[in-house]
Amino acid sequence: MRKLHHIGLLIALVCLATGVARAQSFRVQCPTSTITHPAANNDSEPAYTGPTVLASGAKGYLAPSSNVNGAIKCQQISGGDGYSTMGDGTQTYMFSFGPLSGLADIASGLPGTESPSVFNTVYTGPTLQPGDPATTVDAAGTFSFNGAVGLAPNVDANNGLGTVGAPIDGHVDPRPIMDVGVMNGNIPAPLMAIDEDDEFFLTLTNVGMIMRPDLFEQHTVHFHGYPNASSFYDGVPDASVAINIGGSFTYYYLAPDAGTYFWHCHITPPEHLQMGMVGQLYVRPRQNRVPVGNSLYTALQAQQTDPRTACNSAIDILCSNPLPAVVPASDGRAATGNYAYNDGDGSTYYDIEYPLQIHGFDPSFHFVGMTFNPEQFVDMKDKFFLLNGRSYPDTVKPGPLETQSADSRNHFSQPLPSIINITAGQKALLRISDLDVTEYQTLASLGIPMKVIAINAKLLRDQAGNNLAYNTNSITLAGGESLDVILDTSVPKPDGTAYTKGEIYYLYTPNLDHLSNDAENFGGLMTEVRIN
Amino acid sequence: MSARREPMSATKMIRAISKTRLLLAAMVALLPATAHAAAPGITGTSFSLIAQPAYVTQPDGAMVYSWGYGCSVAPSASSFKPAAISGGTCPTMQVPGPTLIVTENTPFTVTLTNGLPTAAGNTSILFPGLQLVSTSGGAAGLLTQEATAASPVTYTLIATSPGTRAYYSGTQGDLQVEMGLYGAIIVLPASTPTGCTAALPAHYVAPGNSAEADFRLAPAAYDHAKSCYDREYLFQFSEMDPDIHNKALAQVSDPVRVSACATSATGPGCSLNVPTEPYHPAYFLINGRSMPDDMDPNYAPEYPHQPYNGNPHMHPGEQVLLRVIGQGRWQHPFHEHGNHVRILGRDGNLIVSQTDPANNLAGPLLFTTTTTPGLAFDGIFYWTAKGLNWDAYGHNSASTDPLAKLSCTPDLNGYNTGVAAQSAINYYEWCQDHNKPVQVAPFGDVAGGGPATLPDANILTNGAWYGGSPYLGPNATLRATGCTFGAATPPAGSCGQTGSTPPSGTIANSPSGEAGFAFMWHSHNEREITTNNIFPGGMLMMMLVDSREFVIDESN
Repeated sequence: MRKLHHIGLLIALVCLATGVARAQSFRVQCPTSTITHPAANNDSEPAYTGPTVLASGAKGYLAPSSNVNGAIKCQQISGGDGYSTMGDGTQTYMFSFGPLSGLADIASGLPGTESPSVFNTVYTGPTLQPGDPATTVDAAGTFSFNGAVGLAPNVDANNGLGTVGAPIDGHVDPRPIMDVGVMNGNIPAPLMAIDEDDEFFLTLTNVGMIMRPDLFEQHTVHFHGYPNASSFYDGVPDASVAINIGGSFTYYYLAPDAGTYFWHCHITPPEHLQMGMVGQLYVRPRQNRVPVGNSLYTALQAQQTDPRTACNSAIDILCSNPLPAVVPASDGRAATGNYAYNDGDGSTYYDIEYPLQIHGFDPSFHFVGMTFNPEQFVDMKDKFFLLNGRSYPDTVKPGPLETQSADSRNHFSQPLPSIINITAGQKALLRISDLDVTEYQTLASLGIPMKVIAINAKLLRDQAGNNLAYNTNSITLAGGESLDVILDTSVPKPDGTAYTKGEIYYLYTPNLDHLSNDAENFGGLMTEVRIN
Repeated sequence: MSARREPMSATKMIRAISKTRLLLAAMVALLPATAHAAAPGITGTSFSLIAQPAYVTQPDGAMVYSWGYGCSVAPSASSFKPAAISGGTCPTMQVPGPTLIVTENTPFTVTLTNGLPTAAGNTSILFPGLQLVSTSGGAAGLLTQEATAASPVTYTLIATSPGTRAYYSGTQGDLQVEMGLYGAIIVLPASTPTGCTAALPAHYVAPGNSAEADFRLAPAAYDHAKSCYDREYLFQFSEMDPDIHNKALAQVSDPVRVSACATSATGPGCSLNVPTEPYHPAYFLINGRSMPDDMDPNYAPEYPHQPYNGNPHMHPGEQVLLRVIGQGRWQHPFHEHGNHVRILGRDGNLIVSQTDPANNLAGPLLFTTTTTPGLAFDGIFYWTAKGLNWDAYGHNSASTDPLAKLSCTPDLNGYNTGVAAQSAINYYEWCQDHNKPVQVAPFGDVAGGGPATLPDANILTNGAWYGGSPYLGPNATLRATGCTFGAATPPAGSCGQTGSTPPSGTIANSPSGEAGFAFMWHSHNEREITTNNIFPGGMLMMMLVDSREFVIDESN
């Protein structure tokens, strides 16, 4: 009865929002071409052979004339609430973001960031169900839709001709958005990944928190670490605008320098972050797009000719990848694998990457957060210690974890396992971020050394180009920090033997009280590194 | 954003002001948007300090019994620096203690008088990183010479390298530092490094902005050309557990203890026995104040014992020196929105490249700069619109407003910094995006045809520091919101049709006066941006990037 009441209230809110003159309510944005990406198709990044050539146009600004780099990426997320399951089986209420694009990709542990041709796909299957894709996967075993949920032909803009030929211009039908988005939040929030030179259109659709109809909460996205951000798209509600329930806001970014960033809501941060509105975001370097075999050093030299992509230590104190001090002897772009940064010497090469987010949940705070009572901040104390939203042993369960929520549907609310699979002899990049809101946490590697190559999305390199990467067996982060670690199984173990298939190593916290799941004194911040 | 508070349960704290003050404070604090910060302090070679008790104020109305350092001899007016900040004074104890500004390799003395309650016992000061040449007076203590109730102690010191450092009590530190006995020492370089300018560069004479004063203490932070700066701020982070303060107050006021100490100077009443564990801080302070108090002016009369604020402002492109000290017992992840910080050095130790120390730095670039107890760091921050892919000034080549059609001539770095630009409001504009629109179909006098459509203003909530539009500066903001159309009269009823501006009178960043880009600088242990369970509060301040139209006046 109570639940129906809540849904009714939310529908009323949505109707109210649409009723306001000129209000746009829900909508998405994903142009197929822009000033920066003028081609008809910008689905993928072309090879990087040099900076984009800019020429002055009729309107007085520089526009690409040739050698266009990057592509267009789009993503839609819901801001609302949801449930997750802790390592001891506790069903936990969250304020959280859920996927409204890339549903199938998110369920597979991939980013929900899509190219325009995928994002702008109108769904044509059976009506989307609350809990999708968990619901549909359970029923039929297949679900491959990655487009924007709700996207519909804009009949209003079709001169009375109906759906045939109606443009796909970001107009949405709010019904599937509410069906899928309500109570469908994830921990961590949907993964985002873009490439340097991309334009990224990120639409946040506020579907309301159905368990907390007393709160008329806005949500925002703070792209943490975005250099030279505009305050408008920085997501701080005090310094900008925040989207109300029943509306959508599209954040627009040009991809910043490559690195491991993260994102979170910035409304009442001690509450919304503790409650689970935290996610992962990384930017891949243009060095990945250097044609195989071409010199990475030469490619970085080319980047130095465009002030936007250059790092000149003599005149810019806040850049971290000048040309390497030592010209590498052999620096052809590898045939496989990728690079974490524009290093110019291949020093950040990896074969496989894993985003790994550290977080903590205070069960008392989450319980109070489900009621209408004010939470206490001074007494906040995390009891669940999470890697990608899961505690050990859930960290090593493959695939998405389902939780039956208050709508009696199962939801894939914890899509990301944190098993680190490495083929013997290869290198794994761990993109580690921390959004704990109460304390510092340490993550140690039992066995394979951690090579720290970057901190806070900046390559560890001094202004003269010397490599400052270092080996360690543990890293310590506070909420609001990130770093990049390479686990290198190509280097023999100390006894000279090679890593071999079947071996298991552990990432765990030496904050020993964090190796627990509330009252269970076994679990917590731990996962496995498996050599395959 | 839901402000929450716990029922104010029985607490012994004295409340001089109504509990409802927070809401008022939150509003009032936002209004005087001209109160800025810099790094005020006292210069000299001889400092006379006194440790004293007093009550510090918190935005929830609490008055917390504390100890701090004040001036036992009033410094001359000319010793308060920077000179452009008026009202410098230290008549009584303050938290943090007076910032002592000294010069590298110049010996100086600090004389400490013990004005603490007798029952508190001796007190002292540690100067980590400085060379303690000699002491006189006082009595020997465990870590250093201490000031007794009867005998002050004089420390003779010398700093052999520039940089920011902490000073704090070396006597019963778990209690005395918690009570507020800490402060900062800024050591200025003995000479100006090559490449740094003694005066600010031919200062920008933008429209309405002809007279910006120099608020720096020195042209450079270290003896190194890469440490030149244009503006500086000092932030000291600490926490406070009111229970410890209340217990200390109870013991120093206990007549039994007081009389016991009067009988025997070594008696049990002459030292406190206040448990400092378990530690349960409820207040999280920057420069002794919680948000929003930290954004009120330096030396504001409503905080007689908390004179220093945290309210940074800067223009695009300015190299801004951050002097940051961890003064409590916890680490705090201090997150600077807007850009990274290059760590220059820690505790006065410049971090340079091993292969080219004269020319290149090696400190990390961080977007979250952890503050660590007893540790100071210096870092350089700047903000430009580089890489936004749209013109932050909303220039419009089709406008009739000359300020909408300024030129942008890139320097080697891509910025508009030529001589001609020094008198323009778009000095340091990122030229690659000049005139490039962000909006598909803007309402006002800014260029259209960009990539993004803004939502209808009716489904947005505006923040108190929202400048009123996506654009930087009053000219761009008024054009973008239909309030000016250059020389032409705005269409009837057009102004504010986007509804972008908050209700008038509640804004901290007025669209017509400032319209800066506001960025939150705060502890990312988000629990700490609260004041005794109330959000917002604690370790939080707003940094504003202002266009050249706005005069940054840090003189209060």
